[in-house]
Amino acid sequence: MSFWRFFRDRLFAVCVFIITWAMLMIFLLALSCGISALIATSSLLLIGGTITLLWDFLRRRDFYNRINTSLESLDNKYLISEMIPDPDFADGEILRDIISEACRSMYESVAEQKRNTVEFREFIELWVHEIKLPVAGLLLMCHNGGEKAAEYVPQLMRIDDHIENVLFYARSENAEKDYIIKEVSLKKAFSAAAMKNINALQKRGVSIQAKGLDVKVLTDGKWLEYILGQFISNSIKYFTNEREPEINVRASVTSNRTELRFRDNGCGIPASDLPYIFEKTFTGENGRRGSRSTGMGLYIVRSLCNRLGHGISAESVPGEYTEMILSFGSNDHLKME
Amino acid sequence: MPQYTERSVSMSRILIIEDDIPIRDELAQLLQNAGYETVIISDFFDPVPDVLSAGADLILLDINLPCINGELLLREIRKNTDIPVIMVTSRTNELDEVLSMSYGADDYITKPYNPTILLLRISAVLKRSSGTQHSLSYHGLSVDTAKGCISGNGKEILLTKNEMIIFRTLLDSQGKIVSREQLMTALWDNDEYINDNALTVNISRLRSKLFEIGCTDAIETRKKQGYVLL
Repeated sequence: MSFWRFFRDRLFAVCVFIITWAMLMIFLLALSCGISALIATSSLLLIGGTITLLWDFLRRRDFYNRINTSLESLDNKYLISEMIPDPDFADGEILRDIISEACRSMYESVAEQKRNTVEFREFIELWVHEIKLPVAGLLLMCHNGGEKAAEYVPQLMRIDDHIENVLFYARSENAEKDYIIKEVSLKKAFSAAAMKNINALQKRGVSIQAKGLDVKVLTDGKWLEYILGQFISNSIKYFTNEREPEINVRASVTSNRTELRFRDNGCGIPASDLPYIFEKTFTGENGRRGSRSTGMGLYIVRSLCNRLGHGISAESVPGEYTEMILSFGSNDHLKME
Repeated sequence: MPQYTERSVSMSRILIIEDDIPIRDELAQLLQNAGYETVIISDFFDPVPDVLSAGADLILLDINLPCINGELLLREIRKNTDIPVIMVTSRTNELDEVLSMSYGADDYITKPYNPTILLLRISAVLKRSSGTQHSLSYHGLSVDTAKGCISGNGKEILLTKNEMIIFRTLLDSQGKIVSREQLMTALWDNDEYINDNALTVNISRLRSKLFEIGCTDAIETRKKQGYVLL
């Protein structure tokens, strides 16, 4: 709080003071007092007025500066009510009471929202586990039911994919720590992701080459499987009919990073779309043409990577290839929130 | 009490611990079709004595059970016996897998699973527990899976990794039809991600190699169904 700002606020009081002083002078002159009496009265008034003004300014400046410093240091500004110093002036007390009341109400509704989110997520997790049971039952029935029943399998796999998306979306949006970081073999994770999509990959006749995956990285195995599964299902969606579909996965290790490059020879991503593919609900040109894109898959992938501390990026030459690059640090887990 | 299906001497007996009845019944059907004998437990209040008395060669254990948690049950089972256990669950999270493995599970599979993969895992775990057999035999020829060679009749042929996986899968169910999908799944499960054309090529090469060593018409093609190793 600058003095000038404070002074402007008190301008009316200062004006009244000056007018009162002028009238007093006229009054004293009319009583034919000596010039020295005028000077003495004026000085006393000036000293008294200045002291009042300064004292008022200083205690307010202290109070507001302390609040401002606290406010700047807080991440959640609504917690400021706990940091307000005791004011020694009436309007400060009123302000403090108002802020406390407002913040308490704010805090309560934030806490309630958090509780609701956690409850909702728990419900989603539970629901996902429940809904997987009939899907598992149906898959078994299809397998036991002969040729006709086997035709239903791809549709069931689609249902399962959508269920997984819901589960991992809920996980990626929530601040709860529900992953385990341990050494995971890239080979095992990729194998699990490929096996999950084996029917779709074979139906499309995809050749897969995997090189150098005998590497261990620090991550959550299930999350990594989901991420790789997303890469695979995206590739399947965007292969072109112009050439034999191929997927090429390779890992390279440098001193402190492991990089996994997942490349397909599909239709590629236009340069104008490339910067936005990880944005929520972005579908881009390919998605509009294919009309099967929700724009959520890669968004969820990026959120999961952010939470695990992995790097994710994409390169593409339209009409030639798309390459997704995942990079694992040797100490990513130290950087996690 | 455990419910048994008819028993024969050579069949492996698999105990299914699963509370979802449709899944349990279909699973039993799947395993019986694949040549296993199945035992079912339907009382989950203190199931340990039933589990131990079932005389199973392998246990498929669900994690979400009424009355008892599958992981705890696994721990109880492990206190008494080393029967191989495969955990089957709909919970896709690393914690359950880490816990199950640390309690001594032999494998961990999440629902919904691909039935072909489940059968592969079961046979892999059974093979591991019965002691790994590197040498098998086929019509008087000796098959060394580790070295990848078949020898006999004074000759020896070398198989590539893919050919050996195919041969072994066929040999495991000798005399029965093995579908292309089953062969493909077995190859992929061993990180050999070949496509349909490559499978055809591999099978014809395997045929000509078997021909070289004196097995004519060893692999028979059943149209639209798969292959049979005679």
